[in-house]
Amino acid sequence: MTTTTLKLNLGPQHPSTHGVLRLLLELDGEKILSCEPDIGYLHRGMEKMAEKLSYIKYLPLVDRIDYLAGFFYSELLCRTVEKALNIELSDRVRAIRTMLLELNRISSHLLWIGAFLMDLGATSPFFYAFREREMILSYFEKLTGQRMMYNYFVFGGIRKDIEFLDDVQKIISILPEKLHDYERIITENPIFKRRCVNKGILEPEIGLNYSITGVNLRASGIDYDIRKNDYLYQGFDFAAVILQGKDSWSRYKARILEIKESIKIISQALDYLKKNEKLEQKHINPLNIRLPEGEYYQEIEAPRGLASCYIKSTGEDRPYRLKWRTGSYYSVNLLRKLLVGEYLNDAIAIAGSLDIILPEVDK
Amino acid sequence: MNFEEFFSIFEGCELKENKIIIQSKLYDVIDFVKNNYSFDILKEIIAVDNQSLGIELIYHLYSTIDEEDLFISFSTNNSEASSIVNIFKSAQADENEIYDLFGIKFIGNNELKRLYMPENWQGYPLRKDYVQDEMRQNWNDNDNT
Repeated sequence: MTTTTLKLNLGPQHPSTHGVLRLLLELDGEKILSCEPDIGYLHRGMEKMAEKLSYIKYLPLVDRIDYLAGFFYSELLCRTVEKALNIELSDRVRAIRTMLLELNRISSHLLWIGAFLMDLGATSPFFYAFREREMILSYFEKLTGQRMMYNYFVFGGIRKDIEFLDDVQKIISILPEKLHDYERIITENPIFKRRCVNKGILEPEIGLNYSITGVNLRASGIDYDIRKNDYLYQGFDFAAVILQGKDSWSRYKARILEIKESIKIISQALDYLKKNEKLEQKHINPLNIRLPEGEYYQEIEAPRGLASCYIKSTGEDRPYRLKWRTGSYYSVNLLRKLLVGEYLNDAIAIAGSLDIILPEVDK
Repeated sequence: MNFEEFFSIFEGCELKENKIIIQSKLYDVIDFVKNNYSFDILKEIIAVDNQSLGIELIYHLYSTIDEEDLFISFSTNNSEASSIVNIFKSAQADENEIYDLFGIKFIGNNELKRLYMPENWQGYPLRKDYVQDEMRQNWNDNDNT
């Protein structure tokens, strides 16, 4: 009897690819022998566009790099420009930005929980997670006028002062009990555990070698959270979530715990903002932003790992070169390693557990 | 971090602001700092087209033990550089992207392919001499496959 291997195209339209990712798998029966990711279906040329547009024209575009966590990329671009122009943010602006970033992180993690459980075949958690996410998105819509592409942060501060703080108070008072519900349904669920515990083991040294950051690395036991040294988060009391499990289940658990930490940060920011100080921010003329000649680098802890922005300026009103680093881009590369030797039905669960989002990969 | 040993082994390297600028031996340098200074993660490779000065590759390393960043800069004039995939597997992603957008051939990396651009696309979009000419504007996938 002769045996041959089977080449299987997973995607680009597969529902579990969360966008358009094509995985070229080589199978021996159900076992994966090799995996070759093929990306580029969502490429928009973000870096090329930066070289053609002035900073203020480019700012509304960057939310689209990760449309589930748009605040993070506008924050990143604003921070890089502020760093170059030596602009210090006032405490109130800092608190507002931190609060919105953490709310955005929660909404992003909630979507992930829903979509991940959907990948595993459980439909109800998807609706529960979206119900809670909806509260956050409605708040963002009320505040910024947009549900996903906010364009709310501007160079030197924010577009207008924060409003509707009661809504935020309501969100963070409801969320803990909902998280408790999720944990009751999902965390110790035997079917869920059988599909996730000891599946997709990411050894810390492999994670580092493949440049994996964020929750995925912290669930493998490495204490690396940019927020600890980020001046935006100075004065906030929170802990980085470090788990030792290395598997899909730990990555799930880490995200649940991270939502709880985010709630802590938000409630501290909220207490501060309720004191109702006057908003102080430096107004800079957006039509004439010129960064001094040089190279500027800034990084931030985005929901899907370390995100960074590099700008090289020659003193003109637009960047000479702008480069984004996104977490998902490296997670896709990790699939080459992580899926080999696994079964096809586990592949979907493992790829899902890494929280890959394709607009971030393709930029 | 003390780089004295580094500068005594690799001559001709200079420290400029926070970047170490090297002229040659890219592979050896990266290998050395990984093994001797515990830089265990390659965050990214940044490519910049400096026109007459060649294309600059900035290797951004980080040590999770010492919590320190390191930038190593290497400029190439002939669109070639040695691949470091054997040291950091994440470099596969970076090198492929730079090959696609800047046209740098990484010697030793056999898996380079077009990533975002069509397979038979001419030119490298992030180079400064790239122009959006008529041929590129009227590009049609169906005519060119």
